[in-house]
Amino acid sequence: MDALASLANGFAIAMTPTNLLFVLIGVTLGQLIGALPGIGPSAGMALLLPVTFGLDPVTALVMLSGIMYGGMYGGTLTSVLVNVPGEAASVMTAIDGNQLAKQGRAGQALAVAAIGSFLAGIGSVTALVFLTPALSSFALNFSAPEYFLLALLGITATASLGTGSALKAMIGATLGLMIALIGTDPIQGTSRLTFGSLDLLEGIDFLPVAIGVFGIAEILVSMEQTQSGQVVRTRLKDMWLTGKDWAECRMAIVRGGFIGLLIGLMPGAGPTVAALLAYVVEKKASRHPEKFGHGALDGVAASESANNSAAHGAMIPMLALGIPGSASTAVLLAALVLLGIRPGPMLLTEQADLVWGLIASMFIGNVILLIMNLPLAPLFASVLRIPYSYLVAGILIVSLVGAYAISLSLFNVGLTLVFGMVGYLMIRADIPRAPLVLAVVLAPMMESALRQSLMLSEGSGVIFVQRPLSAVLALLVIGSLCLPLLSFLLARRAARRAGVAEALSHSPD
Amino acid sequence: MRLTNIIAALVLLGLSATVLLGTWQLPYWADFAPGSSFTAFWVGIIGIVLALSLLVTAVMDDSTEPHSFPDRSGILRIVALTAGLWLLVLLIPPLGFVTASILFCLFLLLGIERRPIVPSLFTTVIVVGVVYGVFIAWLGIALPTGPLGI
Repeated sequence: MDALASLANGFAIAMTPTNLLFVLIGVTLGQLIGALPGIGPSAGMALLLPVTFGLDPVTALVMLSGIMYGGMYGGTLTSVLVNVPGEAASVMTAIDGNQLAKQGRAGQALAVAAIGSFLAGIGSVTALVFLTPALSSFALNFSAPEYFLLALLGITATASLGTGSALKAMIGATLGLMIALIGTDPIQGTSRLTFGSLDLLEGIDFLPVAIGVFGIAEILVSMEQTQSGQVVRTRLKDMWLTGKDWAECRMAIVRGGFIGLLIGLMPGAGPTVAALLAYVVEKKASRHPEKFGHGALDGVAASESANNSAAHGAMIPMLALGIPGSASTAVLLAALVLLGIRPGPMLLTEQADLVWGLIASMFIGNVILLIMNLPLAPLFASVLRIPYSYLVAGILIVSLVGAYAISLSLFNVGLTLVFGMVGYLMIRADIPRAPLVLAVVLAPMMESALRQSLMLSEGSGVIFVQRPLSAVLALLVIGSLCLPLLSFLLARRAARRAGVAEALSHSPD
Repeated sequence: MRLTNIIAALVLLGLSATVLLGTWQLPYWADFAPGSSFTAFWVGIIGIVLALSLLVTAVMDDSTEPHSFPDRSGILRIVALTAGLWLLVLLIPPLGFVTASILFCLFLLLGIERRPIVPSLFTTVIVVGVVYGVFIAWLGIALPTGPLGI
């Protein structure tokens, strides 16, 4: 009941004209950013973070979070109409969505994605209402060892639950830790790895890293070739779902929503993994698995429901613990810090208006997005016909102005370009960038908690397994490190077996 | 991809060595608590372990997966864009942010993208208008100005 009363108060905050306007601006920008290939919601949030500097914290956060979940809706447009995922979490949508578009069913694919995203999003925000206070009060028992292990889990889980190579994800995280080491030691005040540079004494800000590694790097990749793609046209009257379509998709939406919420809760997994998993599960559960890959409406419903649900679910550990579960929530966490707010379990009590206003704004934002993606979908689809190169110029200039605005120094603009090149090379070397950004955000808290723990225990590592809570977290960290090793060994065994079977089938006897 | 992985491993090895050597003179343990180089030492060690793991995996890898870098024209476009961005940063102090941005937009649209002149000029006006309206007029951020006063 407390949660519902707080939510009612949150609605009062979110419904003020200014906040409503910025929810609308946030979700519209998110929808556009999600629709533009080459720039994802995390990049969009990082690029637009400086725009929020003059705003009230609630207003700034409702806008930024609007970009985050708006991106999930927007990514569908490009996936279905151009067969290019607008953002990574829409990869699975592109497979079946574009096939449906080629069969003249683009409207139905967009409609089911919008309805699925809406229902799963509302379900996930409802879970957020009840789970965040519970997790937050539980986390009040945490002390330095638990915080260190939780931050470490956030990083190791990103590596083990991600979609690519776990080794490369760990390398990404280590690079992030190295970046975070630069500057003044938070406990003893000595300078570290600054090599005499005064500009580096205060360390490297999060924004040049995020804008460079996400924004500039993605634009460099998209600029490798002239963008061209045939946009399939869609009309409003094509968007009606028949009873048969709805019957086919309703359970896919429910399953996708649940999978998305669970994956979103886990540190490091995020909407892309959720969409992948929901698609695979739906293919197994479907009455017509042969349609998957050739235009399955339930495949689109499952993956779109899952990615939106995961985007909202990732807010739970971020708001309750101060631990971001995905790259987008890492940017949101950095925004909190830049706005002068201390994240962690006390956030809900110290900044109740901010947290509940933000949660209430998500209900409103999802309703706006449903309207944008049903009757207004053809209008947004027309944006895809603007040549991408015209947009690139604006995105790059706004990125660099944003980097300058953080500390009014050209040094940060240069750093942004350096990290843009680093991000580009990481993409081409197949090293995931989300662990790097997560590590940059989590490293200060992780280092302080580690050193405080060792100070309390006079150097003994036993402190990390002394209390049941820390022992469980330590086991989870070890588990997350062993998981990729186990899957590697299993994959090798399976490959060896397949090789033996193939050799036997080719043998003359 | 094999060569890319070997280069990535060597770069990480170099960075890890830099972290270790750069913090060598700092205390690892100070009286009763971990010192300034404590975290740096372990991050450096983890970096070396991961770099060696990637190196061994890459050397033992006998697959023929191609690298994912673009062809010559793609690389030229990336180099031109990166050079343009660095030139923009260098031109900001003498010309001002807005003027340097105008030049960069025109270089990108006309020089790299080979777009028609009228839409390129129109785009440049819109971009500069957004930067001026949002960052200078609304947020009051003092962007560097040049001889023209903007």
